[in-house]
Amino acid sequence: MLVNSYSKKIFNLAYQFAGNYEAAEDLTQEIFLKLYNSLPKFDFTRNFTAWLLTLSKNYLIDQYRKTKLEKTSRDEFDEHLLAADPKFDPETELLANESKRLVWEGFNHLSPDIRMAVILRDIQGKKYEEIAEIMTLPLGTVKSRVNRGRLQLARVLKDKKVGSR
Amino acid sequence: MKCEHIEELLSPYLENELSQEQKQTVAAHLKACSSCRELLSLLQEVSASLTAFPEVEISGELQNRLQAVPDKKKRFRLNLDFLIRPSLQPILAAATVLLTVVSFYAFNPNRGDINKAVERQFHTGYQKIEKLYVRAESFTNSLSGQKEILIDTIKTKNPLKREKE
Repeated sequence: MLVNSYSKKIFNLAYQFAGNYEAAEDLTQEIFLKLYNSLPKFDFTRNFTAWLLTLSKNYLIDQYRKTKLEKTSRDEFDEHLLAADPKFDPETELLANESKRLVWEGFNHLSPDIRMAVILRDIQGKKYEEIAEIMTLPLGTVKSRVNRGRLQLARVLKDKKVGSR
Repeated sequence: MKCEHIEELLSPYLENELSQEQKQTVAAHLKACSSCRELLSLLQEVSASLTAFPEVEISGELQNRLQAVPDKKKRFRLNLDFLIRPSLQPILAAATVLLTVVSFYAFNPNRGDINKAVERQFHTGYQKIEKLYVRAESFTNSLSGQKEILIDTIKTKNPLKREKE
């Protein structure tokens, strides 16, 4: 069933993009409503997951522009995202979590298109070709957006580290 | 090569997407430039943080809400089907016109003036009808006068009577 197969994937995309748990729940519900309405238009020669991610991406970016999602603060980097990684010792884990927190907050500095490209590439681990299909953009543009996003996040990380010293 | 050009190549450098020549250029620059080395290290930190973002579980409540989406959509479709029945279209069009006229009246800031104008028109119309009624009555009277004259004329100038005489 569609909900069982895709709900977690879509919710995580919405949460990583919007940064707010409750907003992500509402966005996921709206995306599924839109999905059921658009299903009759689905071209069966296309890849369904890519089509669903395109629909989700379009909805999330539209909502971002309409409702100024950037002005709603991102959740604190809390229990939803702090998954202990058994590879690290406690001190390394603390440092890694601090970096994750700074990067999570740094998403607010990225424009919606760049933010989406970085999420799809670096968090969801998609190939550049898949992102180009999802975002309906040329491959070069996708690579350039991911690159710009990473550089912006690196600078945010640097500024925050300098600020906290 | 300047730092700003190298910065653009750092992400592809980390992803091993550069040509052999480009790789050597970046490596040579990194040996000499501490600022670009720091940026490379921050980019690695950003990349490690993003890759380590965990997948968040969705709540049972959201799962239930999503399971209910197809029913919600079906109910919505039924209502919509009822509203878009062709036989209802003339009624909907008439209702739209009526509502537009009513809203023009209801939300008009000069509603008092409109009331007065309507009242004036009503009185003028009423007066015209009264005048018409009076005219009709006088015409009826004049007709009944004419009728008597006509009867008298017929009586006095009756050709049959004359023939007998």
